[in-house]
Order: sequence, then C-alpha cells, then structure tokens
Amino acid sequence: MMAARSMLGSLWTTFAGLKLATPCTNLQLQQRIITARLPAVTFQSRGIRQVVEKREDKTTTIEGQILDVPAGPQPPNPSAKCPIYRWNLQNKYSYTDVLLLSQFIRSDGGMLPRRITGLCPEEHRKIAICVQMAHRAGLLPDHKPKLPEDHVPKRPKPQLNRYLTRWSIDSVKPIYKTGLKWCKRRMAVGHPALKNNVRYGVKPLYMKH
Amino acid sequence: HLEDKSLLVKNTSSWCHCQTSSVSEPCLSLFSNTVKYFNHFIPTISLNTNIWNIFTGDIGDHVVLINTRHIAFSGNKWEQKVYSSHSGYPGGFKQLTAAQMHQKDPKAIVKLAVYGMLPRNLHRRTMMQRLHIFPDDELPDEILANLTEELPQPREIPKKFSEYTQEEIDAFPRLWTPPEDYKMK
Repeated sequence: MMAARSMLGSLWTTFAGLKLATPCTNLQLQQRIITARLPAVTFQSRGIRQVVEKREDKTTTIEGQILDVPAGPQPPNPSAKCPIYRWNLQNKYSYTDVLLLSQFIRSDGGMLPRRITGLCPEEHRKIAICVQMAHRAGLLPDHKPKLPEDHVPKRPKPQLNRYLTRWSIDSVKPIYKTGLKWCKRRMAVGHPALKNNVRYGVKPLYMKH
Repeated sequence: HLEDKSLLVKNTSSWCHCQTSSVSEPCLSLFSNTVKYFNHFIPTISLNTNIWNIFTGDIGDHVVLINTRHIAFSGNKWEQKVYSSHSGYPGGFKQLTAAQMHQKDPKAIVKLAVYGMLPRNLHRRTMMQRLHIFPDDELPDEILANLTEELPQPREIPKKFSEYTQEEIDAFPRLWTPPEDYKMK
C-alpha cells in the first residue's frame, strides 16, 4: 500500500510536476497508473493525490488532484516549532508508543529527515533512538525494507525477544570478564537520551544493569 | 501425594499471559522475563514457598513457570550476559552467552535467575524443587489439575503496530503535516 503510494507520488513528481493536470501522451503509462489502486485516504498528509479521470471527446485527462483533507484536532501549544512541543509530549513518549513513532518513519523503517518533519534536533535524536529500540523489540513488523523475492538469509536468525536495546545486535560482544564490584563492566539498558522521561513509579531509572 | 501439596500456585513469568486454573487464555508468543523483573517476582515466589516450609518439610506452595522459551531480556543481554561454569577438572571452564544458553536449554536462564535470588541457605534447594519450569505451554496433567492461582505479570507487553486496530490508528492525531511536494513514505 505504501509502496504503491510512493510509486504514485514519485511518478507524479516526475511527470506532473505536482500541481497541474498534464494531458499525458503516453496512454500505456497512464493505464498503469490507474491500475495501481489508490487506497482510501487514511492519513491527513497533504502529499497524497487522488487520481481523477475525465473523459472528453478525444482527450482523456487524468490528473492527480490534491485532496483537501480536513485538519484534525488542534495541538494544545500551536506556537512551538517542534511537533512534539506543540503537543506537549516532550518527555512522555517511549519505545512502546508505536502510534507516535510510526508517524516519523518511512515504510521501510527508516527515519524521515528532520527538515521535513520539523522536529528539533534533540527530539529527532530521541525519536530515532526510540524507533531503533522499537525495531529491535519487534514492535514494527511491517516497516521492514523490501527484499527481493528470492532472498534467502545466510544463517537462520535466532528469534529472541528483547526490549530497550541500546546497541545493535551484531555489534555487541559478550562480557567474559565482568570485573570486581567496584569496577564492574555493566550491561547497558535503555538510552541516556531518554533519562528525562516522566516516571510514574517510585523506582529510579537505571541504565547500567 | 500431590494432594498434600494442595496449594499449587501458578505463576507465569512476566510478559506473556497467565493461565488461570479455571480459565485458560491463549498464550501470546512474547514473554518477557528479565532478570530485573525477577527482583520482585522472586520474592513473591520465595514467600509462597517459604510459608509452610519452615514447619514441615512436606508442605509448601509450588510455583509453575510457563513459556520460558519466549523470555525477553532488556538491553543487549542476550549477547553480553555470560553464564560461566567450571566442571572442576582442568580445562573445564565453560562460558556461554545467554543466547547460546537459551538455545541449548530454554529453562536454564530462568532457573539460574531464580536460584540466584533465593536466600543462600539450605532451604534454597528445597525451594527450587518446588519450582516447576516449562519452556512451552504444555503442562503435565497433575500440575494442570492442581493449579489454583495465577500470579500477575510484572510488566505489560507492548502492542505491536500490527495489533492496533485501524480506528485506534486513526484516532491518534497527526503531529505534523508533510509539505505538499514531498514524496511521502
């Protein structure tokens, strides 16, 4: 679905140049565009266009009309620059808030650029970290990169459940010698960028297990 | 013989679900049990086993842990945590990462974690005998029949994106609108 939309989007930016309808000469290409179905609009993003076909005597005009999606609820703090500050979610989100995190990622799981989303640098970094942790916890199963059909993984991956993983799985080495109590090599949990998050319980947040 | 030990408390290790003695719910695949979790879990387990234990050797609550195959560790502990043992013979020092240990025996991690949290006295071994660990959902009939209680999960399992309904996804407000000429996603 998202791949189809991105394909459509890219096609339109290359041909139509965004705004106006261009009576296309290449009918075959157009037919292909029509057959790629546009799903019903579920997002409010104004980047999505509806394919509208108008048949006249001898010319068929197919254009992408930008849908006027009604604006959703207003943020409680509209004067801030960063979307998270606008909605007052500064220290309140975590790796489990997938609904929030999914708004800032592409369909293959990568983060969207900061100049597009409008996030401030610290929040962009925090969201990137939370997205990484969510991916490693397996909370975003559909946002995987598209692999070719005949791709066979070299070695079978062990299915291990994890959460709050700071480092990438392949980059971490086992701690064979942990050391004495005063100089122990600790295992990292969570991320220090999220240390200011709201804690609703009494227990302190500790990141060195 | 099991009738003497009538109070069988079933405990499910965090994350996943709990199967009560009366109603069995389908168990989820995700199951998290971090050693951190155990900090409050095990005192409850040990309390249950301790109460009657002191008086006679035969009475005591039993605890059953299921779905240990689906345990989750926080952080990178699957790769970093190392379980070491020495057989006593020269050259017998073995070090296994948590991932390797789990693959070899899915019950071992939970068992070692519980063992390390019980008080270091002679009661520890008898208390461990009252703990029954099962890697999957299947339980032998004697235990299933005697389950009385289900202990609560210490940690909630986060929902995956695919588990949210479309209404919930739509109800969540859009935080930002993309510029008009941006190729979205």
